[in-house]
Parts: sequence; structure tokens; C-alpha cells
Amino acid sequence: MLRVTNVRKVFESVRGSYVALDGVSLTVKDGEFVCLLGPSGCGKSTLLNILAGFESVSGGSVTFGDAPVTGPGRDRVMFFQDAGSVLLPWLSVEENIRFALRVRKIPKAEWADITDRYLDMVGLDSHRGKFPAELSGGMRQRLQIARGLAVEPNVLLMDEPFAALDALTRRRMHKVLLDIWQRIGKTIVFVTHDIAEAISLADRIAVMSVGPRSVITRVIEPDLPRPRDLADTKVARLFGEIEDLLTPDLIRLDEQLEAH
Amino acid sequence: MSTAYGRQSGAAVKAGDTPASRRGWHAWSSSPAVRTLTLTTASLLIGFCTWQVLSTYVFNPFLIPPPLDVFRTAIPMLASGEILSDVAISMIRVLIGFTTGSLAGVVIGVLLGRIRLLHELLDPIIELLRYLSPTAMIPIAVIWFGIGEMSKYFLIFWGTFFIVIINTTAGVWRAPVSRQRAAACLGASQLQIFVLVVVPSAVPYIVTGMRVAMASSFMSIIPAEILAANSGIGYLLQQSSLLLQTNRIFVALLTICVLGFVVDRIFRLVVDKVLARYMSFVSQT
Repeated sequence: MLRVTNVRKVFESVRGSYVALDGVSLTVKDGEFVCLLGPSGCGKSTLLNILAGFESVSGGSVTFGDAPVTGPGRDRVMFFQDAGSVLLPWLSVEENIRFALRVRKIPKAEWADITDRYLDMVGLDSHRGKFPAELSGGMRQRLQIARGLAVEPNVLLMDEPFAALDALTRRRMHKVLLDIWQRIGKTIVFVTHDIAEAISLADRIAVMSVGPRSVITRVIEPDLPRPRDLADTKVARLFGEIEDLLTPDLIRLDEQLEAH
Repeated sequence: MSTAYGRQSGAAVKAGDTPASRRGWHAWSSSPAVRTLTLTTASLLIGFCTWQVLSTYVFNPFLIPPPLDVFRTAIPMLASGEILSDVAISMIRVLIGFTTGSLAGVVIGVLLGRIRLLHELLDPIIELLRYLSPTAMIPIAVIWFGIGEMSKYFLIFWGTFFIVIINTTAGVWRAPVSRQRAAACLGASQLQIFVLVVVPSAVPYIVTGMRVAMASSFMSIIPAEILAANSGIGYLLQQSSLLLQTNRIFVALLTICVLGFVVDRIFRLVVDKVLARYMSFVSQT
């Protein structure tokens, strides 16, 4: 169980302090798929970085299981949007996976098995000798996912991992991710600004408000069978509901920008 | 008739048609290697012809000897091994100074890029010292090390060191944060992140720095040998100047051109063979 209690995050800079998060609370159950949804600048990536342990909290607490989160941990793996800069470009697909197994100190005897299993899971087994530069954006993202899964974390933290992909590839990646999630049953916290993406993936959607002082304004539980088709009336109604929820914030964001 | 046909097909190509009408120049230039070789040869030939004509009929051939005279002077110098031994001496000086300077520059550059306090302490000093070109250091190098080999090693080292430091530090800084964070999630220790992620990420910057430093080494070995040596290409230049042997001066100058070009090509070849996989800058999704 991942528990966020009353978290506050203040960024200090020469121009003064900026309160990014102010009183965010959220509980993610084991094996649950939660999306953090909100427009740009709502602090959802900040919250994810706090969950990963990259950023510390200014107030409140984050615990995983019984232990407080104080730094990057092996139980939580972060997946970044720009897989190209995350992967090691001087290593082949297979070697990138082996890099993960090496730093995780997994016995060498198991490397071949694990590599095969996860490359097969993301459909990259026929590209194992290629280098990241030779892969498409979607393939790089699948490699990042395979590499993260290979060390068997309990929680996957995903920061808009598919935002830079074209729409068709993104749809395919959603399917791949849901398949994997249903098979391995890990907890996923997934950040996105795309309402349709959140609806098609999540067990629960935590909608966040635009900063400063972002909070989780509502938690929505789609409770619809997957795969969820946007043409379905129930899904479409949910989409409209969330859009209405976000619109006032977007207008406010525009006004803020114009004022500057 | 054929001209008319040719025009027609030209128009067709412009309209975005197939390359079926690629003939003559187009067909010939379609192989990049052939094209480059031909144009390079042409460029050098035109250059030498112009030089020959100008220095025979326009300029004083004593001040600017025509290329044929220069080649005539070069042949015995090559045959006797005179010029080759000067080349070897200068090259060994460059090699030793460049290698030690690069090694020291990479080690210190990596540390400066990683340890913030060290950078804050040393950066002001480096920022001042790097304006002292190797040429400016010749007089003091002669006093410190005499006109033996050590003063030349030192001067090349000096020129290489700062360039490599600055590039290495920049490369270490630019190792993507997300790449390091992802490695931390996977379980890498700080040392592993440094050795296995940050340093390899900096390789393209380090190599660029070393290439620039190599060029600068070639620039600085000549004045160093002119002012403080009794062997090497710079010394050959200086002796020929004292004896007003312009032909020999031009032989030495041409040698420097060819040498610099060849060494840079070799450097690139070695990088391609040994470091190719580290040279990719890929980061766009």
C-alpha cells in the first residue's frame, strides 16, 4: 500500500518560493492502477517524483508498506516519457536489460531467462541486438518498460510514458501495458494529461487542480469493463464529466498566463 | 531532336518524376564516394595550377616558390630521411604531450563535473589559466625545463589539458538526469551510476574536446620548436628562414598541412572503431 498523507511541496528559488502541492492525500492499494490526471503545471509529475523518492516533501508524509519513502527504492521503478534519454544508447536492447540485472545483483545464471521473458512480453525478442537509436519511439518505450519490469519492482511509476507517441502507437501501448498489468498484478501510478488515456487504463482516476497549491480535487472510479471504448455511451459520459471538471481550471490557467 | 528530348525529361524531373532520366552529371555524382574523390582532386589540382601560374608570372618566385620547385626541393629531403626524422620527432612530442594532457584533463574534468565543491574551488583558477596559450608559456617553459624534450611535452600538455577539462566537465553535466534517476530506481549505487552511466554519457563531449586539443597541439608544437629546440619541423622552419631557403620553408609548411590532416583522419578512424557505440547522441523519442 502506497500512502500519501497531507503532502506539501514548496520549491525555493531566487525568485521566491512556489507552493506546488498543498495538502495532497491519496492511498493506492496493492495491485491497483491509479491515474493522476490534470493539465500541465498541476504538480502531478512532482507528486510522482516524490513517490519515486527523487524529491523530498516539505510537509506531510509518504509511506510504502510500513516504511517512509526517503529516496529512490528498488521496490518502486520510474518510467520516463523520454525513453530515448533514459536508455543507455551505447548498449543494445539485450545489454540494456542486462545492465538492470547487473546493478540489481541478480545472479548471472538467471540473466538469460529473465531477459528472454521480458523481451518476449513487450514483443522485442527479435530486436535484441539493435541499439536504441535503431528503434522507433514505441519500441524504445517498450524496452524501457521491459527493463523496469526485469528487476521485478512492486510499484510502477509512469510519467506520461506514451505522451510523445503517435495516436495509433499509443493505443497499442495501452493494450500492451494492460496485458502486462493483468498478468503480473503490480501497482501502477500513471501520470497523464489525456482524459481518454486515463479512462481506458485506470481503476481510479485522481483529478488534480492547476497549481500553485495543487490538490486532488476528486477521485473517480470508472468501474467499467476493459477494454473501454470511447464510443460506448457510459465511457463517453464519463469523459464529458471529467472534461467539465477540468475546464474551469484550464480557463484559469489561460488567464494566469495572459496576466504574466 | 535529342536536345528537345533532353529538355523534356528535365522538365519531367522537376515535376517530381522518377530518376529514370538521371544521366551524365547526375548519374556520375550519385555515388557520394566517387563525387567526393573527384571534387577533392579537382580542388587540389586547380589550387596547385593557380599557385604555379601566379608564382611564375605574377609574384617573385623567390618569395613564393612555385609548387614544382617546392616538390623538387622536397624529393631529396624525403629521400635522405631528413624530413621524416623531423616529422617523427615532432609527432612524438605531440603524442606524449597530448596523451598525458588528455588523461589528466579527463580525470580532473570528470571530478569537477561530479564534485560541486571541487568545481567551485578550481573553476576560477582554470578560467584564468586557460587564457595562457602554450605560446605564451614558451619563455617560462624554457627556463623551467631547458630546450630539451621536457619543455615541449609540457607545452603540448598545457594546451591540451584545459580544453579537455572544460569539455569533459560539460559532458558530465549533460548526462541526462532521467538516465541517472532510472539507473537509481533499478538499484544502481552512486558509484555505479557514475562509472556506468555518467562517464560513458560524456564520451562524445570528451572526444570532441580531444579533437580540438589535437588541432591545438599542432598549432603549438611549431612555435615551441621555433623558439626552443634543435630538432623537429619547427626547427626546420626556423633554420630555413635564417638561411633564406624559401623552398625548404614551403616544404615544411606543406608537411604540417598533410600531417595535421592525416592525424585527424586517424583519430576519427580510431574513434569510429573503438568508441562508435558511445558516440550516439540519441535522446529524442
